[in-house]
Amino acid sequence: MDQPDIGEQLKKIPVEPLLPIEKKLIGWSLGTGLVLLIALALLNRYLS
Amino acid sequence: MAEASNASPEAGTPGGEDLLALWLGLLVFVLALTSAAGLDLVGWVVTTSVWTDPAKALAPVSKAYGFLGGVGAALATYAALLVALTLGAAWLKIEPGRFALRFTVVFLLAYLSWIAGSYANLAVSTPGDLQKFGIGWSLKLTSEGGYIVALLVGLVIANGFPGLAQWLQEAIRPELYIKVAIVILGGFIAITAAEKFSLASSLLLRGIAAIVEAYLIYWAVVYFVARKWFGFSREWAAPLASGISICGVSAAIATGGAIRARPAVPILVSSLVVIFAVVEVLILPFAAQAFLSHEPLVAGAWLGLSVKTDGAAVASGAIAESLILANAAAEGINYQKGWILGTTATVKVFIDVFIGVWAFLLAYIWTNYINVQASDKARTREIWERFPKFIIGYLLTFMIVLLMAWGATPEHVAKIKSAINQANVFRVIFFVLTFFSIGVLSNFRKLWQEGIGKLVAVYALSLFGFIIWVGLLISWIFFAGVKPPLAV
Repeated sequence: MDQPDIGEQLKKIPVEPLLPIEKKLIGWSLGTGLVLLIALALLNRYLS
Repeated sequence: MAEASNASPEAGTPGGEDLLALWLGLLVFVLALTSAAGLDLVGWVVTTSVWTDPAKALAPVSKAYGFLGGVGAALATYAALLVALTLGAAWLKIEPGRFALRFTVVFLLAYLSWIAGSYANLAVSTPGDLQKFGIGWSLKLTSEGGYIVALLVGLVIANGFPGLAQWLQEAIRPELYIKVAIVILGGFIAITAAEKFSLASSLLLRGIAAIVEAYLIYWAVVYFVARKWFGFSREWAAPLASGISICGVSAAIATGGAIRARPAVPILVSSLVVIFAVVEVLILPFAAQAFLSHEPLVAGAWLGLSVKTDGAAVASGAIAESLILANAAAEGINYQKGWILGTTATVKVFIDVFIGVWAFLLAYIWTNYINVQASDKARTREIWERFPKFIIGYLLTFMIVLLMAWGATPEHVAKIKSAINQANVFRVIFFVLTFFSIGVLSNFRKLWQEGIGKLVAVYALSLFGFIIWVGLLISWIFFAGVKPPLAV
């Protein structure tokens, strides 16, 4: 399958500042992820 | 996942390879399982032993088919796979004649690599076996060192004989092969899990942690790095984050579809994912052997989290298992086979399960908050469309074997185990085909294309600067001190 040229495509990338919804997505993902991981680690310790 | 999609022709049927893998895996599983009821329908499948005399390398897995001899069993196996896969190829709208011819070459080269890997000087791992085979040294790769040989042969073809690699394309389908193998693997893991329930429950908990890690931690960090530090647009950053964090190619493509990126973007990201996955296969299992030999399940989970693409991840688990078991055997500890690989595969499968949900979530955010002018709305059907169907096969074979073995008499469990071992021989063959195919797809020259530096930098920084270390830390928290059961 013919593939487009990566270099060409990368040169065309427009500048886009982070939107508030993106910051929210990143923040909520990290926050929820950390809390869940700590909870799972504690559960793992409790079960083992 | 879906390595083939960037280098081999797309299947004509939507989700075709996924469904085909599901049915092929279940077919092998059901046929093998009948041997628990006294039938022996697939006992002719060829298995390879460690050898110094090539005449003794091959044999049918069941003694009932001993009359076939090793070569007869190999031919029967080839013929069965040829028929099944060519029918599948036709269903995928690939020209059957072209596929059959190319699959013949792929099978021949891949299985010869596997046989070569079982040569005693490569495979033997214990002093007792050195004595048994009358040899003075060995690379101690175990019989599964054949995977490395198959990968290397594939790499030589990709980088030394690109014309041949191109010609083989129709039959180079690592995603199809690995998905069939994973469906079969479900039953194998279940029979092992039924024997050691506490360890299995620990695996499940770790699987849930893997989902949290990949989707919520890795994705967010990689997306941030790509957007903020490297200035990628949303159209590039989201597929890139999914490709690096979740499950390689299929996650990149699902994300690209979900945010309505131009088709070229996830395809370009995917080609990078595939190349990096092979670099990881060549490095990480050996790092695991060097630094995690005494924590085998930490190594297995770490590889499942760090190596992107299903094929490469499971391949890494298989290599790491062979290397770590060989180390342990040399110290007089004989762990049961399958636990390191099972840990890697389980972690990977858990991550795969949520690709559809994640794609739906991103589609919802993009259509409602980012591309608000777009008329198309996120559809619930997207979850099902993006769901990797072969996972259903894995869960089915896992549940069926677990239920069959639950509370069964030891005699009955032994029969199920024997049946699953027959299926497992097919699983090994599909693994070998996967390793060889991954090698053939890995043309390292792509990494040196002009202008690709920024993309490579994000990938390298995220993977080697963050993902593998966080994966190691979390794997350590959940698996440190947990050992595979000892072989009886």
